[in-house]
Order: sequence, then C-alpha cells, then structure tokens
Amino acid sequence: MKLQLLLLSLLILMFCVPVGAQEDSAMVDSLAVDSLAALPVPAPVTDIGLSDLPNDHGHAVVVEWTPSTDDGSGLANVVGYQINYGLSKDGPLDSVGFVPSASGSYEHVGSKDENDRTYIPDHTDLYYRVDVKTVDGRLLVSAEVAGPVQSSGQWYNTGRTAVLIAVALFSFLTIFYVQQAKAGKELYIRPIGGIEAVDDAIGRATEMGRPILYVLGLGTAADVATIASFTILGRVAKRVAEYQTPIMVPTYDPIVMTVAQEVVKSSYMDAGRPDDYDEDSVHFVTQSQFAYVAAVNGMMLRERPATCVYMGKFFAESLLLAETGSVAGSIQISGTDEIAQIPFFIVACDYTLIGEELYAASAYLGREPKLLGSLKAQDWGKGLFVVLSIIGIILANFGVESFGALFEVAD
Amino acid sequence: MKRSTYLVFGGVVVLFALSWIFKSSVLEDGVYSNVWEAFKVTLAAFLTLAIFSFLYKDNPLYKFAEHLYVGISAAYWMCLAFWSTVVGNFIPRTFESLSAAFKQPYQPSSWDILGIPGNIIYIIPVLLGIMLLMRLSSKYGWLSRWPLAFIVGTTAGLNFVRYLRSDFVAQVSSTFVPLLGTPDSVSVWSSFDLNATGPVVALLSNWVIFIGVFSGLVYFFFSKEHTGWFGRTSKVGIWVLMITFGASFGYTVMGRISLLVGRITYLFGDWLGIVQS
Amino acid sequence: MKRQAPFALVFIFGIFMVIQFFVPHETSENAYEFLLDWIIIIGIFALALGIWSLFKVSTEKIKNRKEASEYSYITLIGLFVMMAFGFTQRTGESWGLYFIWILLCCACIVALMTMRASVDQGKKRMWAIGALVTLVGAIVVAIFDDAWQFYFTDPQGFENTMFRAFFDYVMMPILATMFALLAFFIASAAYRAFRARNVMASLLLLAALLVMSRFNPYLPFAEYVAKASNWLMNVPNLAAQRAIVVGIGLGIVGTALKVILGIERGYMGKG
Repeated sequence: MKLQLLLLSLLILMFCVPVGAQEDSAMVDSLAVDSLAALPVPAPVTDIGLSDLPNDHGHAVVVEWTPSTDDGSGLANVVGYQINYGLSKDGPLDSVGFVPSASGSYEHVGSKDENDRTYIPDHTDLYYRVDVKTVDGRLLVSAEVAGPVQSSGQWYNTGRTAVLIAVALFSFLTIFYVQQAKAGKELYIRPIGGIEAVDDAIGRATEMGRPILYVLGLGTAADVATIASFTILGRVAKRVAEYQTPIMVPTYDPIVMTVAQEVVKSSYMDAGRPDDYDEDSVHFVTQSQFAYVAAVNGMMLRERPATCVYMGKFFAESLLLAETGSVAGSIQISGTDEIAQIPFFIVACDYTLIGEELYAASAYLGREPKLLGSLKAQDWGKGLFVVLSIIGIILANFGVESFGALFEVAD
Repeated sequence: MKRSTYLVFGGVVVLFALSWIFKSSVLEDGVYSNVWEAFKVTLAAFLTLAIFSFLYKDNPLYKFAEHLYVGISAAYWMCLAFWSTVVGNFIPRTFESLSAAFKQPYQPSSWDILGIPGNIIYIIPVLLGIMLLMRLSSKYGWLSRWPLAFIVGTTAGLNFVRYLRSDFVAQVSSTFVPLLGTPDSVSVWSSFDLNATGPVVALLSNWVIFIGVFSGLVYFFFSKEHTGWFGRTSKVGIWVLMITFGASFGYTVMGRISLLVGRITYLFGDWLGIVQS
Repeated sequence: MKRQAPFALVFIFGIFMVIQFFVPHETSENAYEFLLDWIIIIGIFALALGIWSLFKVSTEKIKNRKEASEYSYITLIGLFVMMAFGFTQRTGESWGLYFIWILLCCACIVALMTMRASVDQGKKRMWAIGALVTLVGAIVVAIFDDAWQFYFTDPQGFENTMFRAFFDYVMMPILATMFALLAFFIASAAYRAFRARNVMASLLLLAALLVMSRFNPYLPFAEYVAKASNWLMNVPNLAAQRAIVVGIGLGIVGTALKVILGIERGYMGKG
C-alpha cells in the first residue's frame, strides 16, 4: 500500500514538474516579453585598441575592441556596433561604419585624396568611439573616446614577401644560367614543331612567289606576348629579306606598328638588303577588333599569302583569321598565350605554339646563349613549382595547413 | 574595276532602293521620320548581308563593307580618343586656362611627386608623345625609341611581378590537395559512393588534378629531352591538355551560335518584319 | 647613345615598377598612377601616327593603281566623313547645306586622289580643277551656312545624330555580323579537325562532344552525361589549365625579366 502510494506520488510529481516547468517557462516568456519593452542598457564595449593599418599607403586605421558582455550572452540584445571617428576628442565624431554583433574589429579605410569626403589625414591625431546598437533600434553612445592614433604609409609591404623571394630567386636563376651560357656551356632545348616549320614555310612562299602574312595580334606593345612576337618577327623578316619574299604586317595598335616597322627595317639591314624594305609593308589598319579582322581576311583572300603566321595576343577573332587562312590555302603557324583561343588555333592551324612555347620560340629561333640560359631558369621555376607542390600535398595529407599560408600574398 | 563589279553594285543599289521604299511604307513616324528610320534599318541589313556574303567568297560587296568599316572605325576611335581621353581626362588635369578653353571643369591632381605638382608632371608624356611623332622624320627618327622604351620598360616591370604573383606564387598553394584521403575521411573506404560529391570521387579527382598538373608541366619542359619516363609523362601531359582544349572548344560553341541567332533575328525581325523580334 | 639610352630607360622604369610593387607608400602609388596615365597619353600620339599610316597606305594604293585600289576611296571617304561628324554639329533644327558640304568634301578627296594616280597630264589637270572647284565650294558652304558649325573645343560632335547613326547602323551591324560568322567557322573547323586522325584529335573530339552535350535533356542518360561533363570541366580541365597558366606565367616573367635586363632586344630592332 505504502509502496503504491509512493509510486503514485512519484507519478504525480513526474507530471507536475513538466507542467510546472511550462508554467515557469511561460512565466519566463512573459517576463522576456515584458523585459523587451523596458530593456536594460547593454554593457558598453571595452578595451578599444587603435593602430595604423599595416602594409598600406596610409589613411587607414584598425579599430579593435572587446565586445559588450551582453553580446551573445547576458541580455543578448546587441545587434551591432557603430564606429565613429573625429579629429578631436571633444569635437564631433562622425559615423564611418557599422559591424554586426560578435565583431571585435573594424578597418577604417579612407581616401588619400584631400578633396574626397572619406579622406583621412596621415600623421594627424585621430579619435574613435564605438557605440552599441540594440535589438530595439537604440544606439547607445559610449562614454569612452579612444585615441589619439596616427595613420601613415609603409615603405615595405610585408604581405608580399613571398613574391619578393620569388623575384630574387628567379632573377638569380636567370642571371646565373645566362652567365653559364655566355661562358660557353651547351644548353639543350627540345624541338618546338611550329618554329621548326617557319623556315620551310618561308621557303614555300618563295617558291610559290606569294607573300608571307605576319599578324602580331591585338595586343599592345605593353603585352609580353607582343614583345615575344616582335622577336619572332625579326627572325622571320630576316629570312624573308634573304629570300626576297614579300612580307605583309598589318597591325592593330599604332605603337605596335612603330615597333614592328623598326624591327622589320633592322632585319632587312641585317640581311644586307636595306633597299628592299618597303615601309608600307608594315602598316596600321584600325584599332577596332573586327574591322581589323575584316581587313586582314580581305588581305588573305586577295593576296593569297603562302604562309600566315599568327603570334601574339588574340581573342574571338582567332578562329576567323585561322579559317580564312585555311580557305586561302596558306600554311598557318600560330602561337598565343590566350588559353581560350588555343583550341581554335590547334583545330584550324597547321602548327600551334601552346602558351609558354611562344615565349620559348624567340630563344629557339635565334639559339642565342643568353636567351637559352633564361629558358633554363624558367624550367627551374617549373621544377620548383613541382617540388613545392609535392611538399604541400604531403603536408596537406597530414593536416598541416600552415605551409599553404606561406604562399598567400596580401592585396 | 571589272564590269561585273559595276553590275553587282548596280543590282545591289536597285535592291536597296526597293527595300528602302518598302520599309518606309511599313514603318510609322516616330522621333525621326519613317523614311530616315527605314534607310538606317535597310543600310544595317545590307551591310549584314554583305559581311555574310564572305562565307561564299570574297566579293565586291564584302570589300565595300570591309573598307567602309575600316575607315569609319579608325575615325571613330580617333574622335573617341580625342574627346574622352584628351579633352575629358587630360586637359582638365593640366592648366586652368586650357580647361576653360575646352569648357571642362578644372580638376588638378591633388598629388605631387617630390614637390612637383601633378599638372607640370603631365607635360612629360606630351613631350614623349611628340618624340614618338619624330618617327616621321628620317633625321630625328631615333628619338621615337625613347617613348617606346618607357612603355616597354614600365609594362615589363609591371607584368614581371604581377604574373609572378598570380601565375606562380598563388598557384602553388592551390595545388595542395590531399591524395591519401582527408584527415577525417575514415568513411572513404567504407563507403564506395560514386556520387560526385562523395569522398571517393573527390579523392580520385585530387589524383587526376595532381597527375594532370604534373604531367602538363613536364610537357612544357624545354631544357630536357622528352625521352624515357620523362617522355611518357610528357605524352600524358599533352593528352590532358587536349582534353582541356576540347572542353574549351565545346564550351564556346553554344555562345557562338547565339551570336548568329542574334543577327538572323535582326534580319527577319527588324528588317523584313517576318519574325517578331 | 642613340641605341643604349632606350635600353637604359627600359631598365630604369622596369626596376622602378618592380620596386613599386613592394612599396605601398602613397608616393609610390602616385608615381605608379602617373606612369600608367603617361602610357595612355603617349598612346594618343601613337594613334595619330596610325591614322597617318592608314591614310598613306590608302593613298599609295590609289596612286600605284594596285588591284582593288578603288576600294581605298571608300576607306578614305569613310575616314573623313566619320571624323567630320565627330567635330561638327548643327546649331538648330535644320541641317542646312551640311550634307552638301560633306558631298563636296568627298568629291574633293576623290578628285585629289585620282589626280595623284593619273598618268596623263590632261586628265591630271582636269582632276586638279575638279578638286579645286569642290574645295572652294566646300569652303564657301562652311563659311556661309549657319545651320551647322565646327566644334573643336566642345564635344558636340558626340551629340551629332549622324555620328551616332553611323555607329549604330554601320559599325555595330558589321561588328555583330563578323561575330556571327564565328558560328559558321566553328562548324567548319570542327568538321575538319574532328576526323580523329590520332589519339590527340580523338581526345579533343570526345571532350568537346561531352561538354556540348551537357545541357541536352533529350540524350539517353542525360543526367550522367551532365555529371560527367561537369566533372570534366572541374577536374582534368582545371589541372591542365593550371599547368598552362603556370607555364605561361613563367614565360611572361622570363620574357619581362629579359626585357628589363636588356637580354631581349629584338623589340628595338637591331640589338
């Protein structure tokens, strides 16, 4: 009997506690609703730290603080923080940014232009205040104004040290192998199909009595691919001058035209035929992509060049050029570093230099020791890439992420 | 010009006139008169057809359109360069009197280099530009190499560090992929799920990436003969490269077709009015 | 001096840009922005050189009576007309004698070019008179017609409806059509190349077909084709792209360094 009473009481207690808890939670809920209407003020931020933003041109400050104790805990009524800045501790402080709750830092980046609204003067005392914004939309102005802090530009960006090491390493390798090549060391270079075909193609043009068309692409003289193309043009023009074959070089960029004229003229002089040089063979067409292509296509179909050489920067017009050259019955040799256009050249041209082969072509054509030496340095660069990748992969398998962080470069 | 060329042009002019008259009768007056609008639409349509005629072979119509386009586009870019760059950008930064003469707001650069104001510094590129024009002189043509040297040197230095950063340093860490499974992927071998997002496919993909990158780089080695294992790896590399080129080719096809659809829509819609564009 | 000074300039500016990359200070950044502006300004002078080259080549073609030289008249007329539109604008609602002026100028250009190309002295004299008459007529119209005027200090030319019309109804249709030609050429290129003569061509063909098929819902096993295609784009494609990018990057870096150090001198002609 007593045991049954005890069990019954226990059962009653078991049912009452959840109900009671519900009543308590209901009480708590109603309390929460009530307290929302008359919320106490959250605690302010503390420990505001100000420092100059590193590795920049100045005019930027990092503001850090310890979030309010009521952010995410306690009253949990903080929605974010407003950062204010001014030039005087007692003067007006303007809002410069807002961050959500749980944030503890803000980068105040201003303009370096004095006439700009967001200008922050360097080497000048700056003051900051961090206000708390609550869930119900109130902005609680903090009593603490931190400062002064001064922003300034740095003379070295430590975040780019990885690139500096790469620059030093690559420069050392290049200079080292160039010196080795100058000292007479034999440097092997594997055959590059497209370039080996150039001589044969020029010979073909001479036999057929038809000109050679050389297209430098749509790049400017600032593009490295165009610079590589100039070197190849020089070699081709020298051969052309020796064989007395006409050459046509329509250009897209006027500066490229200027350089190309210089290159071709020098090649004719090198070949001992300065009088054969026709300045109009290298001419400007237009700086409009498809107008240029329309003109070159027309040239191909009218002049029927025996060989078309496309070396440089190409875009959507690559297929137009290559297909028209094919219709004209020309041997086509192409080379570009534009990855998206390489497939079209591969499909439509007889020989294609893929990516880096364009840059190797100038060394291959001339066989100058200095140029071969730099090619060796490039290969060492690739070897280094493979070695570093293998090390990184091994470490990644063991969960070591810090090695990858060494290669991060700051903006 | 051959007689046949004159006949072709004559025929085209007659067709153009007929089309223009027809279009004028169909169009209604808007901001501009229907005759002028009809002329513009007909001209655009005929130039479109002239370029399309290139697909058959080189012909007088295509030559006409090509030469017209070359001349007009060269002049267009000249005008744009003058008004936008020279008058809109350069002159406001130089002298106030010059800006006033060209009715532009004076916007001097607020920066200087070692105390020399910005607007004075802008005289230097003008001098370099004039040196470039010396190219036309046989006696002073050598001066044109100086601005070229400036442009080539500046951009070579810029490209040197930029590409070393983006195409070498940044690529190294991207290649760190786990080849023996992720540290917590105990389920790799317990669950042979061939789902693309599953751990097995992810692991195989990592191996493909590693082999692809490694063999692709071996293909681009120039200073070693491609024989033996090196040669075989290089061969694998070129196969992987061909896969990527094929993928790139296939990816571009649809975009190119859509360009053709656009022109056909113009011809059948805006010009002939057969299709509602 | 004439040959060495440019290479010294290349070295100085090249090294400066390399150092500038590591110096975030304001002075360095200002210098960087100045130098990039200088390149744009020099480019404008180069454009003038280019226009001169185009003009010279066209006139030489006409003078030497080369094949299809008649079309060079079209180029010159197009060049002049568009430039005229870019620097003139009507002052009121009416165009007045503006188009007569354009026609007179075009006739003058044709007459001058034909005169230059003529061998017969009598014809040369006739064309010269024609050029003079049309030139005088154009000058008279320009002076006395108030319906339009030249603008060299005000970009009114941009507002010229003819300038706009030539851009919208001549340049843009031709540009778009040239682009559209790619659809035909891509088909012909694919037909020629995808005959699978060797392993490499077969791989290229298969990869292209797989990627082209991925959005086609009517294929059998379309879902698996799409998945395979996505995997192809995201994995082997990525691997090869990375290898190419690294190779190209090192190539660019190597060439740029050779240019800065003066090892590569081909771009300056003899060197």
